[in-house]
Amino acid sequence: MLLFSGVGKSCLLLQFTDKRFQPVHDLTIGVEFGARMITIDGKQIKLQIWDTAGQEAFRSITRSYYRGAAGALLVYDITRRDTFNHLTTWLEDARQHSNSNMVIMLIGNKSDLESRREVKKEEGEAFAREHGLVFMETSAKTAANVEEAFINTAKEIYEKIQEGVFDINNEANGIKIGPQHGGAGSGGGAPGAGGAPPGGCC
Amino acid sequence: MDFLKSGLKTVLGAPETGQQPSVAETVERLVERASNSTLLEDRRDACRALKAMSRKYRLEVGAQGLDTLRQILELDRADNETVNYALDTLNNIVSPSQFEEEEDKPHIPMNIGDQFTEMFIKDPHNIQLVLDLLDEYDFRVRLSAVQLLVSVLTNRTKDIQEIILDKPMGVSKMMDLLADTREVIRNETLLLLIKLTKGNANIQKIVAFENAFDRLFEIVSSEGYSDGGIIVEDCLLLMLNLLKNNSSNINFFKEGSYIQKMLPMFNIPENSEEVGWSSQKVVNVHCMLQLVRTLVSPSNSIQIISSCQKIMKNVGLLDALCNILMASGVPADILTETINTVGEVVRGDATNQEFIGNVIAPSYPPRPAIIVLLMSMVNEKQPFALRCAVLYCFQCYLYHNEISQSNLVQTLLPSSSDVSSLTSGQILCGGLFSSDVLSNWFSAVALKHALIDNLTQKEQALRVLLATNIGSTPVSLLHQCTLLLQQTTKLQSKVALLMLLSTWTAGCPPAVAAFLGAPGGVPLLVHHAGSNEHDDNECLLQGLSAFLLAICIHFNDDSVASYSRDGLRQLLVKRIGVETFVAKLSDVSRHELYNKAAKHPQMRAASPADLLLDYEFCKLFKSLEGPLIESVCQTPGRSSPEPQLEQYKSLIRQQDARLQELVQQLETVTAHAQQLQSALNDSQAANSLLRDENTLLKAQVGSSGTDGTHEHEERIRQLTEEVRRMKEELEGARRSQERSREELDKMRRDQNDLLELLDDQDVKLNEYKMRLINLGQAVDEDNVVEPEDNLSSVNNKIVDGKDYIVTPPL
Ligand SMILES: Nc1nc2c(ncn2[C@@H]2O[C@H](COP(=O)(O)OP(=O)(O)OP(=O)(O)O)[C@@H](O)[C@H]2O)c(=O)[nH]1
Ligand SMILES: [Mg+2]
Repeated sequence: MLLFSGVGKSCLLLQFTDKRFQPVHDLTIGVEFGARMITIDGKQIKLQIWDTAGQEAFRSITRSYYRGAAGALLVYDITRRDTFNHLTTWLEDARQHSNSNMVIMLIGNKSDLESRREVKKEEGEAFAREHGLVFMETSAKTAANVEEAFINTAKEIYEKIQEGVFDINNEANGIKIGPQHGGAGSGGGAPGAGGAPPGGCC
Repeated sequence: MDFLKSGLKTVLGAPETGQQPSVAETVERLVERASNSTLLEDRRDACRALKAMSRKYRLEVGAQGLDTLRQILELDRADNETVNYALDTLNNIVSPSQFEEEEDKPHIPMNIGDQFTEMFIKDPHNIQLVLDLLDEYDFRVRLSAVQLLVSVLTNRTKDIQEIILDKPMGVSKMMDLLADTREVIRNETLLLLIKLTKGNANIQKIVAFENAFDRLFEIVSSEGYSDGGIIVEDCLLLMLNLLKNNSSNINFFKEGSYIQKMLPMFNIPENSEEVGWSSQKVVNVHCMLQLVRTLVSPSNSIQIISSCQKIMKNVGLLDALCNILMASGVPADILTETINTVGEVVRGDATNQEFIGNVIAPSYPPRPAIIVLLMSMVNEKQPFALRCAVLYCFQCYLYHNEISQSNLVQTLLPSSSDVSSLTSGQILCGGLFSSDVLSNWFSAVALKHALIDNLTQKEQALRVLLATNIGSTPVSLLHQCTLLLQQTTKLQSKVALLMLLSTWTAGCPPAVAAFLGAPGGVPLLVHHAGSNEHDDNECLLQGLSAFLLAICIHFNDDSVASYSRDGLRQLLVKRIGVETFVAKLSDVSRHELYNKAAKHPQMRAASPADLLLDYEFCKLFKSLEGPLIESVCQTPGRSSPEPQLEQYKSLIRQQDARLQELVQQLETVTAHAQQLQSALNDSQAANSLLRDENTLLKAQVGSSGTDGTHEHEERIRQLTEEVRRMKEELEGARRSQERSREELDKMRRDQNDLLELLDDQDVKLNEYKMRLINLGQAVDEDNVVEPEDNLSSVNNKIVDGKDYIVTPPL
């Protein structure tokens, strides 16, 4: 299914980690890793994010990344109805291969292309409500809602940890605790400096 | 054999007559029993017997039993013992190594294990069966399944990697085994993962995603870091596989704070000198150093290198490495590799460069570590590899760092205040004029690195004076080099001095003038460049002389009356001839050592004789070759009002043309590679068909007894011949594909370099433009716009050529 290639996954990640937008479609081969520090509840959290390829040829490879993920962003392109229509298949696939507690966020991307919109915002909302997902429309180009999408997903994971839904001692759900005492002096914001506090993974 | 016979008898029952059944018959009956018997015990016994025979008679067992054994994996899965026999038998059949039992059987083909592997994996479901058995907790079954996977992976790495990637959770399953508390299984799994991850980026990423680094560091630490056994080495080898050329994993490694975790590996205990280094420890530390170098390798992207370098400095890794440098009792090869590693950790990072500049060695009297290192570089008694490493480290220390470059030149200037202590400049000058050829070469190249891309230092260095004899007037360093060039008879020294002088004079008219003013310089160059000796390395001397001569024309500001730009050009045309000149230059860029040196900043010289050209010089040569030729070919007398601007314009034009040429070549090569690939696929398929046929026929020969099956033998010979031929063809196709791929890569790199260069040129152009404007020169609009136009047209071309986009370094 080629439909999901080009919806803007890599662009969203790039916008989130580097605050840049890349207009040329640089097809993802397999997966690419990205990371960023954020602060939730006054705690430093490092998000480790795996950007997967949308092309069908990489399907079995990308499936390997469901297990061990604490959250997932399910992205479609609001200017292409076909990408929206196949959401169910993807959702089933994701649910089947992942931890049942995995937080899934539905993203309708390319909201800047209002004139070419094919999927109404209400449709996205309805789909999300029906399947118990959080929903948001984003634009990797203008950066609208990009921060929010990632941070809200991280927050939800964080809440689940607080509620004790995730067993943080079990690595298999993609969460790791760093040394709590670390990073006090050396400006914990810089990647790699100081300790790595609780991390989520999308 | 007796044991085997009696074993068989109990399984098969005693033969009716006194006649012994042939091996093939025995195998046939066993296979029959294993597949058709309704009693589990019978099937189990048959499998046990097949296993016993499979080492000595793998051809027969494999040809007849492969399918049945596979079926047992599926149907008898509930019985660990039977499954285990089947797995072991399969493992013997596909084993990549020859068994002792087979030594007296010359007719068994060497690659029989490989052939059976191919037959086994023809149905990818078979691999799934083995993967499923990994879930079995039974020790023997799990271990045998892992071993079978190791064997088939050894034989058919790429095929199995693809199959496993295609199986849901295939890789994850293997990762789970790393947590097995039974060490034997854990260790065998490590071997499996090393094979599995070799050269496959997708698998590498999944393995990393499955927390490989955490697990591996846990094992390494529980085994005592560098003091641990071979298991530590295996863990490190696996990490190396995961990181090599895999930027996504390197990013993950860096972001996951794993660089910090490497630190304890470099702890050298206080008493290490007395305790000594075991050979395993040497290997372990060597692997760890490789790990560090993989992260900061100059072939990685600049962002990755620089962020890893910063982390390494911040967490104290660079410090730990320097401690190894200064510790006593460290084996020479570890010391050498540590020097290389330190070099790459500081290369191009000003903070880290400054840091090692300030490290003080615990020598008496205490000296900067850099000084101690340079002293070893010009010391004939030190091992060759170590001297090369010091040069590389020193280059890295100077790389892109105007301060360390200036510090070096400063130590040579008369104003230098501290006269009592030994300075790096003094050591290098000493090496330059020493009687040891290698010291000449190392020192010239080291000095050259202080001048690269640094006009200020090129001019400063002109002020360096040497007192050659007491009482005589001091001579400038540049004159002394020119003199030495005339006096030395050693090719290596001459080449080194020519590289130094070329770097010095390139882009620096005052240095050109100084060289032209040195007695004997130009005649010597003309002599060498015009010489016609055909010795392989002699042509480097000729080419480099021509190169320097052309630099003297190109960057000539007409301040030396006897060798004006036009005068020199006419001299060159008359004495050497334009065509010969161009040919001499291209001799250099076609030279084997040139291509070797241009590949990587680090010299990879196997022996002292290989040291001639160096990476940075090749870069300079590549960038100037075109403009120099153009300059020499220009009609004399035509002096343009803005020579600099003209030069850069022509440079840009040439590079534009070159770029286009490369892009076209790239297209051709890509098409060619595709053709080759499909040809390769075809012949591979044909080959595999023939091979299967061959194996089966061989087995049939076995089953039909040994009596006079001449036809069969003949047929086998034919087929073997055929297979051999096909293999050769295949090999040929592979090789040429490999070649085209290499070419393609090289072109990509060239294109990259060109792009970078273009950027540089653009900046410089603007600078010159500004300068011209500031100098009050009227720069007419045409001249201002045209170079930029060229540049943007080049960029457009790159964007259009989407298939072979090269992202310029950011
Ligand atoms: N206008 C607009 N274009 C976007 C946006 N996000 C992505 N694009 C464009 O869509 C194209 C595809 O984006 P990618 O992020 O590479 O797509 P992908 O989902 O990673 O694709 P695969 O890696 O093949 O799965 C690019 O040309 C982007 O410039 C957006 O928010 N607005
Ligand atoms: Mg992508």
